[in-house]
Amino acid sequence: MDLLTNILGAIATIILAFVVGMSYGGIVRKITARVHNRLGPPWYQNFIDAYKLFGKTTAIHHGWMQIMGPAFLMVSSVVTLMFVPVLNNGGWFTNLNFKGDLIFLLYLMVFGPLGMALGAGQTGNPNSAIGVTRGLSQMVGFEIPWVMALVALMIQFNTTTITGLMDVQQMSGTWLMFSSPFAFIAAVLAMLGMFRYSPFDIVGAPTELASGPVSENGGKFLFTMMSSGSIFSFVKLTLYVDLFMGGADNLIILLIKTFSIYMIPVLYGIVSPRYRTEQAIRFFWGWPLFFGILAILYAAIF
Amino acid sequence: MKDIKAKLTEKIKASFDTVSEKDYNGNRLDFHVDVKIIPQILTFLKVNLGYIHLSHISCVDWLEEGEFEIIYILWSPVEKLKVFVRTRINREKPVLPNIDMIWRQANTYEREMREMFGIEIEGLEGAEEFLLEDWQEMPPMRRDFQTEEYAEKTFWSREGREDAIDVREEIIKRSREEIPDFAKKYSR
Amino acid sequence: MINDKNSQKIVDIIQNWARKHSIWVLAYGTGCGAIEIPPTMTSRYDAERLGVRGAATPRQADVLLVTGYLTTKTLKRVIRVYEQMQDPKFVIGFGSCTINGGMYYDSYNTIKLLDKYLPVDVYINGCMPRPEAVLAGFGKLQEIIAEGRANGAQKYKDNLEWYKANQKKIIPSLLTTDYNW
Ligand code: SF4
Repeated sequence: MDLLTNILGAIATIILAFVVGMSYGGIVRKITARVHNRLGPPWYQNFIDAYKLFGKTTAIHHGWMQIMGPAFLMVSSVVTLMFVPVLNNGGWFTNLNFKGDLIFLLYLMVFGPLGMALGAGQTGNPNSAIGVTRGLSQMVGFEIPWVMALVALMIQFNTTTITGLMDVQQMSGTWLMFSSPFAFIAAVLAMLGMFRYSPFDIVGAPTELASGPVSENGGKFLFTMMSSGSIFSFVKLTLYVDLFMGGADNLIILLIKTFSIYMIPVLYGIVSPRYRTEQAIRFFWGWPLFFGILAILYAAIF
Repeated sequence: MKDIKAKLTEKIKASFDTVSEKDYNGNRLDFHVDVKIIPQILTFLKVNLGYIHLSHISCVDWLEEGEFEIIYILWSPVEKLKVFVRTRINREKPVLPNIDMIWRQANTYEREMREMFGIEIEGLEGAEEFLLEDWQEMPPMRRDFQTEEYAEKTFWSREGREDAIDVREEIIKRSREEIPDFAKKYSR
Repeated sequence: MINDKNSQKIVDIIQNWARKHSIWVLAYGTGCGAIEIPPTMTSRYDAERLGVRGAATPRQADVLLVTGYLTTKTLKRVIRVYEQMQDPKFVIGFGSCTINGGMYYDSYNTIKLLDKYLPVDVYINGCMPRPEAVLAGFGKLQEIIAEGRANGAQKYKDNLEWYKANQKKIIPSLLTTDYNW
């Protein structure tokens, strides 16, 4: 019975993540359009796009690794989703978690992009290769403040599980956003790069790189990437809410919290032009790194 | 400007004998030279007189006279003067000396001339095909190349347009514009 | 049940609806027409509200927008682009140059009839068509997609020899590749 509940819960979580991620994508397109003084597509446009992409034939074959790339991405998104508790008090949405899953998560989150990099490498398209190098350099950039923020949290509260951190927040009643502000700032700045909205959209720059790593992938490949991207963005948002904003007691609160934190990269992105690769890295190794170090010092001293 | 031109003409005439010049208003001066001395005179202009910039090389097809006219346009940033060096070659067997060791960029113009007019340039390097791909007809910029006929034959025309009326006369009448005779022959 | 004719019809209707509302265009800016694409996409005319959106590579695109005259040299590239696109794919010919040669009717290296070389689904006429006309063209394309009449790709496959012969006539060095490298 327990197993069955777990499996059903997992499936429900995946569907929820897919739907919410896709709708958020559509809403972001709408918001972008409104900022541009356009009408914009309807919020469900992403679902239509995904369905259409799924319905396209796919006659591209560059080798097995290309097929594995999107699959890697999907697997890594779903597995990451399994380790992030969606709601506070269990129920259907507690998934797997164990001691030290925060550290495991750090590794897991780079697994997908690495798989994608291998897949993109096999397509032999020079744009893909450039996109991959850019993506990996950018990852080197934002992973450092991000890891520092998480390490600071671990030191401060002596726990390496997400649920542990959530319990801390429930017990003390204050969000970690306030009890360890520097870690939050570092993590939010790292998030800008993680979501790849401009100015950090150097990986898939459409006109510059012909969409970078995905340039040889159409149809069902693109569908897989799109849906795994949506799931992954939901995971990241939930993780942020869990870690810094005290989790959520029910779905409505979860949606409100995730959406409000999602607006940070989106709104910052709409009004910014694109960075070059070295500018992006310099950005992450500047203030975010500083706040990361500050967070660790703060955690170690208090 | 006048004395710059006079000085320049004098210097050129002193070094080359078969040169005739034509003056224009403004900062332009033409020299008509023989094709044999083209490399020498260009080198002389570049090295000794400071005409270091090759703006353009152009080619004109004088079909009626059976000649090609090649025009090298030079510019001196010091004297602010444009010098046109003109030469005429036979249209049947057009041969031109290569000048891309004087200006590297001349290579591009020469390849284009070779392709578009069929002028043979002695010792020119670079791929035979430049702008055209798989071209089998006569060089397309020669005036005796019938473009319309060729286009008709190669690319077809949309059917159902055979009864199209020539409205040039009507347009001219309505706009009350004076169209010179030579233009009537070509333009549409 | 799944292969039953009626259920196939329903699937087709849903799929055509999705295709109609999600058109990713690859604007192949060959001629003057490329300049009309930015106003069509940006805030004045906003094609995105119809689901029209730019695609970066032929692999992701649904519609090939041939904007203007095609020289024989560009035609070669356009054919390659078209063949790299994934089914279902459509072509929009843009401007009178693609229809009958336009002002390049007597040029020695500009093709006149695009539909001899690629299957064109919708022509937009004008020299240059204004963004309104472009949007009307997209509307027409949506219409025929919804009715299932936009079968240019199928036509290309069925009459491949005829198309290839026409293409070979002006591009003797055209290679037939299967684009699976
Ligand atoms: S139809 Fe007119 S505007 Fe369009 S490409 Fe031809 S000449 Fe240019």
